[in-house]
Amino acid sequence: MQMTITKVAAVAAVTFALSLAGPAGAQSPTDLNIGNFLDVTSWDPSLADIGFDGPYMSAVYDPLVALDADGKILPALATTWTYSDDLLKLTMDLRTDVKFSDGEAFNAQAAVENLEHLKAGARSGEAYVNVAAFKAVDEDTIEIDLTKRDDSMLYLMGLGRSYMASPAAIKAGTLTTTPAGSGPYVLDDGMSIPGSEYHFTKVADHWDSATYPFQNIAVYPILDATGRHNAMLSGQINVNFADPLNIEQAKQMGWTINSAVSAWVGLQFVDHTGEHLKPLGDVRVRQALNYAFDGAAILNSIGAGDGVVTNQVFPAGRQGNDPSLNALYAYNMDKAKALLAEAGYADGFDVTMPMSPIFAQWQPVADQTFKELGIRVTWDDMQMPDYQINAPKYPMFITLIAMDNDPAATLARQVETVQWYNPTPQYATVPELKSLVEAAQSAVGDDQIAKIAAANKALTEMAWWSVWYQANNTYFSTPDIAVTPVTGMMFPTLRFIQPN
Amino acid sequence: MIAFIAKRLAAGLILLVAVSVGTFFLAHAAISDPTVSLLGTTATPAQREALALKLGLDRPLVEQFWNWARHAIVGDFGVSWRNFQPVGKLIAIKLPVTLSVVTFATIITALVGTIFGMVAGLHPNSAFDRAIKAISVVLFALPGFWVSLVLVVWFAIQLKWFPAVGYVTPNQSLGGWLRSITLPAVSLALGAIVVVAEQLRNEVIAVNKQDFVRTLRSRGLSSWQVNVHILRNASPAALTVLAVMFVSLLSGAIVVEAIFSLPGIGQLTNSSSQIGDIPVLLGITVVSVVFVVIVNFLLDIALGWINPKVRVK
Repeated sequence: MQMTITKVAAVAAVTFALSLAGPAGAQSPTDLNIGNFLDVTSWDPSLADIGFDGPYMSAVYDPLVALDADGKILPALATTWTYSDDLLKLTMDLRTDVKFSDGEAFNAQAAVENLEHLKAGARSGEAYVNVAAFKAVDEDTIEIDLTKRDDSMLYLMGLGRSYMASPAAIKAGTLTTTPAGSGPYVLDDGMSIPGSEYHFTKVADHWDSATYPFQNIAVYPILDATGRHNAMLSGQINVNFADPLNIEQAKQMGWTINSAVSAWVGLQFVDHTGEHLKPLGDVRVRQALNYAFDGAAILNSIGAGDGVVTNQVFPAGRQGNDPSLNALYAYNMDKAKALLAEAGYADGFDVTMPMSPIFAQWQPVADQTFKELGIRVTWDDMQMPDYQINAPKYPMFITLIAMDNDPAATLARQVETVQWYNPTPQYATVPELKSLVEAAQSAVGDDQIAKIAAANKALTEMAWWSVWYQANNTYFSTPDIAVTPVTGMMFPTLRFIQPN
Repeated sequence: MIAFIAKRLAAGLILLVAVSVGTFFLAHAAISDPTVSLLGTTATPAQREALALKLGLDRPLVEQFWNWARHAIVGDFGVSWRNFQPVGKLIAIKLPVTLSVVTFATIITALVGTIFGMVAGLHPNSAFDRAIKAISVVLFALPGFWVSLVLVVWFAIQLKWFPAVGYVTPNQSLGGWLRSITLPAVSLALGAIVVVAEQLRNEVIAVNKQDFVRTLRSRGLSSWQVNVHILRNASPAALTVLAVMFVSLLSGAIVVEAIFSLPGIGQLTNSSSQIGDIPVLLGITVVSVVFVVIVNFLLDIALGWINPKVRVK
């Protein structure tokens, strides 16, 4: 017995010693190891979240259309597309050389079944709210009939709302846990550990193989920013969703650093008409709340300076954004107080606002600013899911709202359509805004971009929001890999991660 | 003995029911509408209502609890609201990760804590004893997450002996598995070692002064044999502390699992809490309580084996 224990101990010791001798994270130029912020929401494209699911979904699924870094629509499974003259019918030609991982063929009927599945999806359905019907015209052509013109649909499809899955898997209801797509990689179940790491191996004869040069891909969902950074330092990952606090060290390490604005931070006004909080119905009060917040100081102290100071919800450097407006509400507390006094609120007013742990980092600066203005705030504390339900029931609330690359989508999601943060779009209550938004909705091409920019100017001048700054999403990668950030994707899809 | 076991089981059952009821109603009170986090903010009210119907959230809370409890009695904890996977299966995947780390941490704690406690207790006020005390104060003062990060910086980033994050199953690689759980286990063990060592040291000092030890020595037993007797008499308190540590390490693993990105029960608890996946939370609660009951039961048996005076007649 003594001998056996000794032998077992010796074997264990040798095994342990040998394991120590192995490389901590073998890398090769053909391996891409991503440190992501979140685990995959679901392998079902109708339930997946565009946010951080990009690397997972783009590995195993092909979309009908994709986006380039500027938000331009790119062909994928749909090779060409045309709108009818009235913009109410979209016709798409499809590839004919694609099979799903379970052997099923991709064709027009499969595309229609997928689109119907996506339209019914709780998360993906937002892309298809204006769709009346999907039709298979022939083996490789589909039609999408719209109830009204929708300038955001193709953009949302490219963003991650048109991933095609095997119709058999959709019918079987197995997609939640087992992906079945036609993507450039397949999930390696044997190597993957749900919740910890997902390994993908390259499909040998994928139709778009050149866009996906890495042979092996691993995605590690690591919620803790320090854990992700340590994984990068130790060589386990070579692409990381970064914490801006680590940018200096990343420079010292010689890593590639890429950033793009992703979300705006500030006050979302819900009650522009003053129905529930009379002062907010006065544009001077809203403007005062723009002058009063020192966006640059907030960005530096809370956002580690990783972002752009602006008063607009249209992403900096993108169409629709007007850089000349950025100085419109330069920090000026005296002017803010004067505007409040002019509106009849020299002594401030009372307001109740929601608060959640996620937004608590901005609470002290908000408290301080409101106090200087004489505004007395009562905070209602709640958890994040409750915040998303209840915050829009308050006249205004602190928020961080994701932005879109596409100006028409920005106008739609920030102004026109019902969203959790904008339950009752109120632009139509202001005649000038109504006409500008409607003009933008009916225009096309460059004319539409110009009209959207005009609407943005009016919205900003009317202080439709109090935007403090636009926060960046930042990615670190080893020098041999380049990441192209895309506004609208919290983590870019795999086509935006390439060898240098 | 049978009566003792029956009493222990009954107490465990009462604890299980009480904790399950508490968890169920507290979770429902904390999460007003789980469908929002489950379906996202883009879901329509109709889609949320349909999911609520599917999950049975439209029924009275007492009825929901009864439906859960009558299935749980036969080992069916229902399905996760997030992905409709059986809760039992999810826990079965995650539990080995946490148990690996916690068991390894407990073994390290027991071995190192015993050595430190014995040496310090047999040589009170020696340099070693004072060093152990000093280390105890330092390790107690340092936050566990900070110690974890220091270990990562030294052993994962600088020396590259261990991975900074992630878990490898024993099936994939036995060596990889050992490497993946070593730093988390050491992180958990460091704080526990000093508690066990300190407890054992004090007991060893007390036992060493007793008459029977002097008698053993006067009868010519070797120091090693005498020390075995001292350890056996001094260990019950340390063993009790170790058992309590095992249970607390199970819950403490949530921080270590986050730092080392381990897909264990702690991570499952964290993610399920955030989205309001109540069936998973209840399943984890039941398993945790069962572990508490089992550990306490094993502790009673171990104490009886070590010290026959406390055996149940």
